[in-house]
Amino acid sequence: MPVTIVVPQLGESVVEGTVGKWLKKEGEPIAKDEPIVEIITDKINIELPAPAAGTLGKITVPEGTVAQVGQQLGVILQAGESLSAGAQAAPAGGPQPGARPPAPGQPPAPAREPAPARAGTAVAEAPSGDDQRVSPAVRKLLRENSLDLSSIRGSGMGGRVTREDVLNHIEAGRIAASAGAGAPAPQAAPGSAPGRAPAAAPPKPLKPIPAPAFAPPGSREEVVQPLTNVRKKIAENMLRSRHSAAHCSTWDEVDMTALVEMRARLKERIKTTYGVNLTYMPFIMKAVVRALREFPILNASMTETEVHYKKFYNIGVAVHRDQGLIVPVVHDADRKTLLQLAQEIEDLGHRARADKLTLNDIQGGTFTITNAGMFGATASTPIINYPEVGVLGVHLIQERPVVRDHRIVIRNMMTLVLSFDHRLVDGTPAVQFLHRVKELLEDAESWLLDSI
Amino acid sequence: MTSPIAAYDLGRVPYREALEVQRRAVTARASDACGDAIYFVEHDPVLTVGRAGRAESLRASDGELRARGVDIVPVERGGDVTYHGPGQVVAYPILALSGLPSGRDLHRYLRDLEEVLIRAIAAYGLRATRRPPYTGVWVGDRKVAAIGVAVRRWITFHGFALNVDPDLGHFDWIHPCGIRHLGVGSLRTLLGEAPPRREVLARLRESFAGVWDRPVVEAPWNSPVQETLLA
Repeated sequence: MPVTIVVPQLGESVVEGTVGKWLKKEGEPIAKDEPIVEIITDKINIELPAPAAGTLGKITVPEGTVAQVGQQLGVILQAGESLSAGAQAAPAGGPQPGARPPAPGQPPAPAREPAPARAGTAVAEAPSGDDQRVSPAVRKLLRENSLDLSSIRGSGMGGRVTREDVLNHIEAGRIAASAGAGAPAPQAAPGSAPGRAPAAAPPKPLKPIPAPAFAPPGSREEVVQPLTNVRKKIAENMLRSRHSAAHCSTWDEVDMTALVEMRARLKERIKTTYGVNLTYMPFIMKAVVRALREFPILNASMTETEVHYKKFYNIGVAVHRDQGLIVPVVHDADRKTLLQLAQEIEDLGHRARADKLTLNDIQGGTFTITNAGMFGATASTPIINYPEVGVLGVHLIQERPVVRDHRIVIRNMMTLVLSFDHRLVDGTPAVQFLHRVKELLEDAESWLLDSI
Repeated sequence: MTSPIAAYDLGRVPYREALEVQRRAVTARASDACGDAIYFVEHDPVLTVGRAGRAESLRASDGELRARGVDIVPVERGGDVTYHGPGQVVAYPILALSGLPSGRDLHRYLRDLEEVLIRAIAAYGLRATRRPPYTGVWVGDRKVAAIGVAVRRWITFHGFALNVDPDLGHFDWIHPCGIRHLGVGSLRTLLGEAPPRREVLARLRESFAGVWDRPVVEAPWNSPVQETLLA
């Protein structure tokens, strides 16, 4: 059925507006809610969203003309409709052209939420049982499965049948069919006889519970693959760490706003000058090395009888690869500049993913950093890269509300998690170390200059 | 409706660039990719012509404006010709109308913007008023703030410009919003000295929060939001 475009209620005091620019031409296709025509009132230009999808059949009020609230501006034709049908249908459904000022003393409430929906979209959207109210994709799906639209309950706006509804319906039918063959039918609606095709069933009062899409009942398939050597090694290391170290985690929130700003300022220039992508990792590594110097116990390892304090700082960076996790090591990170770190981390990442790491690249680490934020994690508790005694998890930097000076402000925040081996590292130095990393990251400018 | 509105201070931004940011922000807001936000900016001298723009509202010649490097930009907001320049606080609220007390009552939205300005100006001990049927805010017979708004997919954009300390001589290039018989003023001419921009922004945030009964929180303009909108 053709849908008329009318001037919606735009406020109690607004009775008319000037038609500005038509953003669509007659004959042009229109998506629902796409801006279609401008209405200009005192100091406001509002772009009316299309009340329905279709093509713009006719513009009845040209640009520059004053139109009253409720007046028809044009007609949207849906697939298969002609203009003459539209022109005739429109006045029947829509308000008469001309003034329809709001009644005096009309309460403001209806002019808010419900009114625009009524005035803006619905005028000619009388309920109709035919398939013009569904999208072409849904119509195709119905045809392909020989289904009747009226047998499917719509969950879309105004009871409209969506593609998902049809898919759910087909799935429900499949399950009911297999129920007839003796399999359990947990999805069958109460009251429906087993084995009866839902397509023939009367409309149900509720939407059927969607069936899982992953496998039809009865399939017990497993795919067996030998473990790769990489996976065997990862499993062995993870388990050894979990069995050997007394894992404990502590976390803190870091305000990364200043660092985000600094990186934003620098990254273009560093990319064009040195060809290096400046990520947050070199900054974090710098801060970690600095904090490790102050808390040497976290850069140590232990045997049954000894503590080994490392006077060198080899920092591992966990890298995700399709083959499996690997932790290449930046050797002597304390003696490298920020840019060198950036370049080396990038290079190690590339070579890790290309399977081109040497043995030396993955040996000799004294502390590890892992970035789960790269994939969107806001927190995680990493496993220590044994025999190291600490691993720092860095996460997604995101805007969060925080309190500063008794006010709520939005800052770029990140959760830092330190997992440490509680056999060797007491809680106090662990917490202090993490706090120190936080401090350094929040005030990077003050120390980066003397360490670059 | 208590979800916070993020207030960003973009600082000095060329008009066309800010316009692009606004348009992207509207698209992002309409698809719920971000929340409600207010963007505070300051522009280099520019004349913008709203949909109700008329040639006779422009007093300076094209050549004169070109010689001064003043851009003339046609825009989709309502209203006539407006001047923007250094010393103004320009605010672009990009908000879903459904979350405001005004709902889709657009005139009420305009009156609410005026109320925000009136309250912020009152904090300086000045009594600002409306002058129906015109839109904007006056102190005495000096117009101190201009308003022009657009709505797309029920999301607001454009907004207002408050004269804090602009070069008032630049307003001679136009008849502000086509109104010929009323003058233009600024907080500086009314107070004797210009209040600091940061303070004006803080007062505007407070009055936005009061008028809309929503928390308005200061947010850093260097966030993932920025990368999305400038990408």
